[in-house]
Amino acid sequence: MTDSVVLAFGIGLAFGWALERAGLGSARKLVGQFYLTDFTVFKVMFSAIVTAMLGVFWLGRLGVVDVAAIYVPETYVLPQLAGGALFGVGFVVAGLCPGTSCVAAATGRGDGLATVIGLLGGVLAAGAAFPAMAAFYESSARGTWQWPQALGLPYGVVVFLVVLMALGGFRLVERLERRAS
Amino acid sequence: MTSRWLAWAALLIGGLSAVAGSPYLAARGQVDVEALAATAARGEDRVGAVELATWIHDREPGLRVIDVRSREAYDADRIPGAEHVPLGAIGRTRFTHDQPIVVYADDGTEAAEAWVLLRAAGLRRVFFLRGGLAAWLDEVLEPTLAADADAEARAAFARVAGLSRYFGGRPRGGASAGTDAGTGGPSGADTADRLAHLKRRGC
Repeated sequence: MTDSVVLAFGIGLAFGWALERAGLGSARKLVGQFYLTDFTVFKVMFSAIVTAMLGVFWLGRLGVVDVAAIYVPETYVLPQLAGGALFGVGFVVAGLCPGTSCVAAATGRGDGLATVIGLLGGVLAAGAAFPAMAAFYESSARGTWQWPQALGLPYGVVVFLVVLMALGGFRLVERLERRAS
Repeated sequence: MTSRWLAWAALLIGGLSAVAGSPYLAARGQVDVEALAATAARGEDRVGAVELATWIHDREPGLRVIDVRSREAYDADRIPGAEHVPLGAIGRTRFTHDQPIVVYADDGTEAAEAWVLLRAAGLRRVFFLRGGLAAWLDEVLEPTLAADADAEARAAFARVAGLSRYFGGRPRGGASAGTDAGTGGPSGADTADRLAHLKRRGC
């Protein structure tokens, strides 16, 4: 347990450092994607997703990593859709997401600190209100539902489709950025 | 220029992934019959309804509750948070090796079969619900305190009664007899009706 916490702390620091170096501690940069002028967030996040996905797939395929031992959060369709929508609204309003708000606060930005306080307040409020929304929270449970299961496609084919989606997305957003500049 | 090369590399590696097969390790070894038999003999293959309720209430990390009955039975009544995975689909469902998995059915038979299949797949923390859904209804949703219960039994009942109310049950006996509707549970349906319905299905 202690090892896990130390490891998580180290990974968290590295993640925060990478976010800051990518310029994602600035709300101005983050909201650029909502104005279709700056897609740094999209590119950083999708690059990380593709890198991790290809890494996990091939490490598993080569027998280095036991993919089945990786924890996959369970899917609750409706509550997670609602949570995602609420998250999106918060992202647009604050110009920051949880990770970037911590980075912004750590670098002394007032908006980052305000977002972190709001975030913690939201966590407390959600915890206090949990009994009232427990039934909804546990509705539409699908277990560990992954894209290969949902689409009925082999794992590797889904990996390839995500790579194609990422590359297509990068090409599209670079056109949009050129048009904006 | 670098980004162009990275894009080609991702495309190549992604394309190879599509024809590389599954990244999951193949099913390991063979069933260790002796070890499984010893686990069953020690009673470590099963969990009681109250213990399961405690795990769900305490949000046991990684816990998955699997209902192996028919879709109709699952839709009619189930343990809160349970996933429906019929016995025939259990081999195609992905589980992680260290997460606790509790399988249940109306009674013990199908759940015990699921337990064997999951243990044969190499999963370690698999349990079946002793007494099936009937035990859940009986012991968690409608626990009863005997009239001549001693102080120890009353203390144990108070703990179970709290759990029962959490899941929308109606503990019977003591100060709360017949008065608690509970909150956060799956429905307000009368437990006795649900139990009778379950028994009519042959449990």
